[in-house]
Amino acid sequence: MTNYWPWWAGAGGLALVTITHTLATDRSFGVSSAWDRVLHWREERKIERLNDSFINEDALAEALAAATAEHMRTRPGAPASAEVAGAAPLERDSAPAAAESTPVAIARPTPVVVEAALLVSIFLGGLIAAFASGRFKLRFDMGSGFSDIVTANPVVMVCVLFVGGVLVGFGTRLAGGCSSGHGLSGCGRLRPVSLLATAVFFGTAVVVSFLLWKVI
Amino acid sequence: MRTRGAILAGNVVAGLMLGFTVANIGFGDYTQLNRMFTFQDLRMLFSFAGAVAILIVVFALLRVRRTPGRIHAGVVPGAVMFGAGWAISGGCPAIPIVQLATGYLPALITIAGIAVGIRLCRWANGKYFRLDRGSCGL
Repeated sequence: MTNYWPWWAGAGGLALVTITHTLATDRSFGVSSAWDRVLHWREERKIERLNDSFINEDALAEALAAATAEHMRTRPGAPASAEVAGAAPLERDSAPAAAESTPVAIARPTPVVVEAALLVSIFLGGLIAAFASGRFKLRFDMGSGFSDIVTANPVVMVCVLFVGGVLVGFGTRLAGGCSSGHGLSGCGRLRPVSLLATAVFFGTAVVVSFLLWKVI
Repeated sequence: MRTRGAILAGNVVAGLMLGFTVANIGFGDYTQLNRMFTFQDLRMLFSFAGAVAILIVVFALLRVRRTPGRIHAGVVPGAVMFGAGWAISGGCPAIPIVQLATGYLPALITIAGIAVGIRLCRWANGKYFRLDRGSCGL
């Protein structure tokens, strides 16, 4: 069954997904990093707790500074200019710093549970599409294309899928991104590293696909 | 700075949209994927390239920050491994999830492989490569 979307609908859909995620989260969209963090959830939770403690320390320091400023302001005989010289510049300095700290590279990591929610949501979105389009069908193969082009042998299929999965998992983390992180978010931002990675993984997939189709 | 709730909502909505879109484009269908990579059918290729073109324009108009990103020693070999794995298994990190949702049960094996590969990469990087790889999120 090939009642798939025309190219322009697909392009609009993929772009809309990336824009929605970027605007809602102020972060780049990356599925492989979500996998990475969910699979290492114990380590990631430790880091989150450590970050939380730092934030608490920052909040404590800010509270102490505010209390000191308040004390200086209410102290009898304290010059009014002291608070202007002491407190106000702190605010002026901190505002741009906060604005500059929002870039994706400096923003706090997304909580692991939120990354897990992304993966579950992808499954649910796919499930809705499969039922809505009538494509849902439980099967123990990967379809006629895989059987014709790669292998029809179930044992070989299991080995190929596993090895392919390992290559995908290892490769995306080594390259620092996948088709959504480098391909959509990175290329959309014209990041050189993403343009290079996308050209290489797409080119490699073309070569291997031709080998599977014509040679093997 | 976004709140935790906004980030969660953004991830859930984007995840639902991604799963729905990827399934309806046909990225979960190995036949379609191989036809894209062998240029027999340019529909999915145009979908991806068209999305990138739209994003370049929209991100420029919205002045979305362009983080620098560093080309390190792992980019090219990692991308080669990813491209080869995608071509033979039909799955990038999101696609096997969609394949499973469509009823392709062997996609579980691809997911297991991805999990092993990701854990192996973090272990190997910590022990041998010691690369500052960044991530999709950078």
